Amino acid sequence: MQPQVGIGFRKEFAAEFMEGQSIKPDFIELAPENWMKIGGYWKKVLNELAGQYPITSHGLSLSIGSPEGLDMEFLKEVKKFLIEYDVKVYSEHLSFSKCDNAHLYDLLPIPFTEDAVNHVSERIRQAQDFLGRQIAIENVSYYTPVAAEMAEAEFISSIVEKSGCQLLLDVNNVYVNAFNHQYNAKEFIGSLPLEHVAYIHMAGHTQVSDDLIIDTHGENIIDPVYELFEWVVQRINPVPVLLERDFNIPELTQLNNELNSLRAIMGKHSQKAVIASGKA
Amino acid sequence: MLLKTETYQHQKTLAEYCRNGKEITLPGAITERLPHYRRLVFNIVNDSLESAFPIAFKYVERVHWNEMVVDFFSNHKCTDPQVWRMPFEFYGYVVEKEFHEKYSLPWLNDLLYFEWLEVELYMMEDIQYPLYKDSENWLGKLVAVNPEHKLIKLKYPIHKMNPKKAKENKGDHFLLLFRQKDSGKVQFVGLSTLYVFILENIFIGTKKLDEILNDVLYFFGINDMELLQKNTHSFLTDLKSKGFVLGIYK
Repeated sequence: MQPQVGIGFRKEFAAEFMEGQSIKPDFIELAPENWMKIGGYWKKVLNELAGQYPITSHGLSLSIGSPEGLDMEFLKEVKKFLIEYDVKVYSEHLSFSKCDNAHLYDLLPIPFTEDAVNHVSERIRQAQDFLGRQIAIENVSYYTPVAAEMAEAEFISSIVEKSGCQLLLDVNNVYVNAFNHQYNAKEFIGSLPLEHVAYIHMAGHTQVSDDLIIDTHGENIIDPVYELFEWVVQRINPVPVLLERDFNIPELTQLNNELNSLRAIMGKHSQKAVIASGKA
Repeated sequence: MLLKTETYQHQKTLAEYCRNGKEITLPGAITERLPHYRRLVFNIVNDSLESAFPIAFKYVERVHWNEMVVDFFSNHKCTDPQVWRMPFEFYGYVVEKEFHEKYSLPWLNDLLYFEWLEVELYMMEDIQYPLYKDSENWLGKLVAVNPEHKLIKLKYPIHKMNPKKAKENKGDHFLLLFRQKDSGKVQFVGLSTLYVFILENIFIGTKKLDEILNDVLYFFGINDMELLQKNTHSFLTDLKSKGFVLGIYK
């Protein structure tokens, strides 16, 4: 199987992207919130993209960790979008972005507690039942824990197990969290249920102080994150890998170089990939 | 909800802090890192509003703009999961709270509304076009127009001049906004009351153009039908060249 490496599509680079000369991803990823229920120019662009690339979808607003019930109207629109564009992978963040029915439009950390595990797992099951498919849930970067009663890895693993969802392993987020919370990134990844990894995210970040990195998606991927990625791909089945770049966007040829670097790493280990047992 | 009250309270506390920036204590949290969440969340809201309302952002004093945004995000629960639609909620909030009076900016509501409609028309879902035939022989026919449009009335002509000048020109200012089919760009055209009357009747879609013009003669006290027909033809031809008038219904 050829490595599948995609890029998060941004309107900021749409024009150059559509020319198709500077960058050649195997697929593109879109946030459904930004592309559903639209028309006009961007709908035409979307249809053109869909004719050229397979699409994966990475949600921002489902807010799977919210205390309140799921927004079924929203989910209905997501479902329509996933069907219309034949989206094979739909992922969301293991976080909350809405509380008391007020959207915050960014990702906040869920308390690592047993009741949150039960609550979030139930919500994922509801969403999966409604959508008729598994969701891949992403480990998010966080800058502070909130009232944690268990370790992050246990929190994630329990939710994957209880909800029956897949895991979107964001390798950069693991690196960021390991730095910010002083743990060992490989030990952390090794304790996750790697057999459920369906998708990987890679990105750059910004170090803002001696002890804090912000997950900006605004820089190139750094070597230690590539190294961690290489360590990961040797321990999981081949899955699609996505490059996220949301700010400080360079020439697309530079992003294409990053896609090629990811492909090269995946290609190097594609014959040697092992099915992870859940422990590295 | 399977969450304990305690867990819910922690989430609520963090979310409210991100909205209003008021100091909090959260068990187990690294307090000095909490402001990063407030900053990241607030920047998304602020940037979205600045991007949706570039003219208002330019003409409202920075301190007033910031006050409005802070007030809005602290006190209003944004209900739309699509962040690009959030500026419409801001517009509604500004109108409701009467910031235009507080800051003596009588044109503020008009300007925010106009800028929002540009965003909405540009982004909104496609509307089915009518079945039409390309023609400029409108008399005796039902005129077909681009359905992706809004016809609005403003108190201040903020579409023609900067808001400070517009302030001196209070009145009834009619405006047609529409999305061009091929480019997807939003165009706008200022209208007189007479042409608003004609267009509104065209939108209703039950009267042929000559019937509408007969009504114009009656309601506007005009005697010269020939001149009215000639001017209306020029008006519709111009709108056709801009991509608004399509032709006649099949």
